[in-house]
Amino acid sequence: MEQILKSVGIDIGTTTTQMVLCAIKIENFAQSWTVPSVRIVDKTLLYKSDIYFTPLKDAQTIDVVAIKKIILDAYQKAKLSPGEVDTGAVIITGEAARKENAQEIITLLSGLAGNFVVTTAGPDLEGILAGKGSGACAHSESHACTVMNVDVGGGTTNIAVFNNGDAVESACFDIGGRLIQLDVNQKITYISSKMKLLIETLGANLIVGKHADLLELKKITDTMASAIVSIAKGNYEDPIANLLITNHGLKEKFKLKGLFFSGGIADCMIEKKASIFEYGDIGVLLGKSLTQALISSELPVLIANETIRATVIGAGIHTTSISGSTINYDSGVLPLKNIPVVKLSFEEEKNSGRTRIEAIKKRLNWVVHEGVKPLIAFSITGSSHYGFDALQLLAEDIIKGLNQVVESDQPIIISVEHDMAKALGLSLRRNLSKEKPVICIDSIRVDNGDYIDIGMPIADGQVLPVIIKTLLFGY
Amino acid sequence: MSEASLRKIIEEVVKSYYAVNSEASPKMCTPLPMEIPSIDSDAIPDITKTTIESYFAVPFAENKDAYLNYKKSTPARVGIWRAGPRYTTETLLRFRADHAIAQDAVFTNVAEDFASNKGWVEVQTVIKEKDEYLTRPDLGRILDEHAVSTLKLNYSTPPKVLVYVSDGLSSIAVETNAYDTFKSIEMGLKAKGISVAQPFFLRYGRVPAMDHVSEIVGSEVTVVLIGERPGLATGESMSCYMIYRGKVGNNESLRTVVSNIHRNGTPAVEAGAYIADIIKRMLDEKKSGVDLKL
Repeated sequence: MEQILKSVGIDIGTTTTQMVLCAIKIENFAQSWTVPSVRIVDKTLLYKSDIYFTPLKDAQTIDVVAIKKIILDAYQKAKLSPGEVDTGAVIITGEAARKENAQEIITLLSGLAGNFVVTTAGPDLEGILAGKGSGACAHSESHACTVMNVDVGGGTTNIAVFNNGDAVESACFDIGGRLIQLDVNQKITYISSKMKLLIETLGANLIVGKHADLLELKKITDTMASAIVSIAKGNYEDPIANLLITNHGLKEKFKLKGLFFSGGIADCMIEKKASIFEYGDIGVLLGKSLTQALISSELPVLIANETIRATVIGAGIHTTSISGSTINYDSGVLPLKNIPVVKLSFEEEKNSGRTRIEAIKKRLNWVVHEGVKPLIAFSITGSSHYGFDALQLLAEDIIKGLNQVVESDQPIIISVEHDMAKALGLSLRRNLSKEKPVICIDSIRVDNGDYIDIGMPIADGQVLPVIIKTLLFGY
Repeated sequence: MSEASLRKIIEEVVKSYYAVNSEASPKMCTPLPMEIPSIDSDAIPDITKTTIESYFAVPFAENKDAYLNYKKSTPARVGIWRAGPRYTTETLLRFRADHAIAQDAVFTNVAEDFASNKGWVEVQTVIKEKDEYLTRPDLGRILDEHAVSTLKLNYSTPPKVLVYVSDGLSSIAVETNAYDTFKSIEMGLKAKGISVAQPFFLRYGRVPAMDHVSEIVGSEVTVVLIGERPGLATGESMSCYMIYRGKVGNNESLRTVVSNIHRNGTPAVEAGAYIADIIKRMLDEKKSGVDLKL
C-alpha cells in the first residue's frame, strides 16, 4: 500500500521568489504479523518554477498582487490547482521577512497553497531548510559526520550545522548580495542599515547617491567573506562576524568534515561570465571574495546539490514528517497549526505523583499565560519500559498537570518520542469526558521552543502528517 | 592395559621429568583449597547489559559513528571483530550468554504463583512435564479433563471476547509482557464498549490449544498471549494469536497474529492497544486470519 502526498514549497526571499512541487511517497512496511509501520519512502521533485525577482512596490513593501500572479502562473505551468496540494511550506526569508507587509503575504498565500501548508518566517528554520535542500544534511547522515551549510542570499546568510542527519545549531548573519545596490552607472541606490554600520567601522567611502569605487566595495565584500570563514573555522570572537549577527550566532565549536554553500551567491562563487554589476548589487563581487577567501582557508568545501533553489526545495520536500503508526486521535479538530511545544524533561517524567504534576504545571505556565487560549502540544520522551500500571499513573498526572487545558475548549495534544501513543491516548481518555478531543502521537522528537502543525490523517487514517518548526536551539 | 599399569607409567614419566628439569620436590601438585573464595558480583561485568546493537569491537575503525549508525538497524552480530579466524573471547562469551538466555526461556517453567498473583485461574494441557511438552507438540494443543471442566464452569455463558495467557516456548516472555498487554487490550475494548472475559493461564500450551479452548468456552473471538520461540536477539518476545469462532482442526491461515511484542519490538502496552482495534474488526467483519484484510 502506498500513497503520494503532493507538497508545495514557496520561498519569497530578499532577491528571488521561487516555487517547487514535490511528491512524497509513503508506504506501510508492516508484514501481516507486525503492527503497522508507515514510512516516507521517496521524495521527488515534480516541478520547479523559474526564478523570479521578488516584486517590490518600494523598499519597505512587497508587491502582493505580483506575488500572487507568480504563484498562480507556476501552478498553471505545473498543471496543478492549489486544492490538490496536501502539504508544504511557504516561507518568507531574509530581508523580505522584515518588510512591512510580510504578514499580509503569508495570509494571502495560505489560501493559495492548499489546506495544510505551513506559513512561516524565521532565520533558524530557513537555515535548516536550506541545509536540507542543498544536500548538506543528507551528506552528514551518509558520512556520519558534522557539516555546515552556509546559505548566502540577498539579505542574509543562514548557517546550519548538521551532525549525522540532525540539525544541531543554526545562526543568521546580515551578509548578502543585495545589502548594497547600485544603478547602471555604478551609483549607489541603497545601503542597508547594518551595512552603514560596517562601512563606518571599516572607514569605507560609500554613500547613497554617490558613485561607488570598486575597491571600496571589495573592502566590504572581502570583510563579509572573511567573517564567514571565521565562523566556519569556529572563531566566533571575530568582531566583524559579531557585528553582522542578525539574531544570534553559533555557540558550540564543531570539527567540520564538510562545508556547503547554497543560495544565490553560491552561484556567483563559481566562475561565470557575468559582469561584476550585472545584477545591480554586490552579489557577484561577494561570490568572488568568498571564493578567494576559501581557497586560502583550507576549509573542507564540498559541492552542494542545489544552490539558489536549496531553500525552496527544503521547504517543499523536507518539512513534512509523519507520526508513528499506532496512535490515537479525534480527526474532528484537525488540522491544527502553530502549536507551541511544552516539553517535560525525562528526569521530570521519571518522577511521580505531586512532583510530576507540579513540573507539568510549571512547564505549562512558561508558555500559556493568563487570558490566552491554552493550545499547546505537551511532549514527553516516554520509554519502552512503561508497564500498564505505570502508564495509568502517567496519564493521571498528565491530566492533573494540564488541568488548565482540560477545562478549556482546546484539545489535549500529546507527542511522545517512544512508541506508546496509542496506549497513552486510551489511558488519557479514561480520565476525560467523552467529548474532550484527544490527539496523541508518537515517534516525533520535539523540544521546548518548537512549533508543530498536525495535518489530516493519511494512509487509511493510520498516521498523521506532522510539520516540526524548529525555531531555536537552546537559546 | 589395566588402569593400575597405566598409572604406573605416568608416574614414571613425571618423575623422570622432574629429575631432569628441576630440583623441585617430586610432589605432583598442591591440592586446591576446598573453600571457593567468594567473588564480589560487581567484579564480573554483565556482558549482556550492552545491547548487541551498541556493541562494537572493531579496533581503529575509520568511522565508528557511521558503523554504529548502521548497526542500529540490525541485531545481527556485525562489527564484533575476531582473533585470527575465530571469535574474540568477549564475543564468544556474549554468544553463549545470549544462547543461555534463550535456553532458559524455553526450559524454565512459568512461576507457580504467576497466575494466582494476578487473580487468574491456572489450568493445564494433557502434558505432565517440560520434556514431554517439548517432545510432543501434538499433545500441547489438548486441554486435560480438569481444565475442560474448570473452563466450562467458569465461562458458563459464552463470552464475546476471551483473552488467555499461555507459556508457549518462552516463560520469561509471558511473565514480562502478558499482564501489560492484557490490561491494555481490556482498556482498548472497554473504550469501544466491548467487555472482555476474565483471563486464565494455560500451562504447557501450544498455539492450536486456542481452538480447543474456543470449542469449550464458545467464545466468539479467542485470543492467546503466548511466548515465542526465543532467538539470540531476545528471550522476551511474545506473540498474540487471534481467531474468530475457532474449531479444533481449523486451518492455521484462520489465525491473525501480532508478533514481536517485547521491549525492543512493539512494547506490551502499545501492542495491546493495537490488538484491541483488530479484535473490534474481527467482531465487525466476523472473520480472522488471511480473510481479514488489515
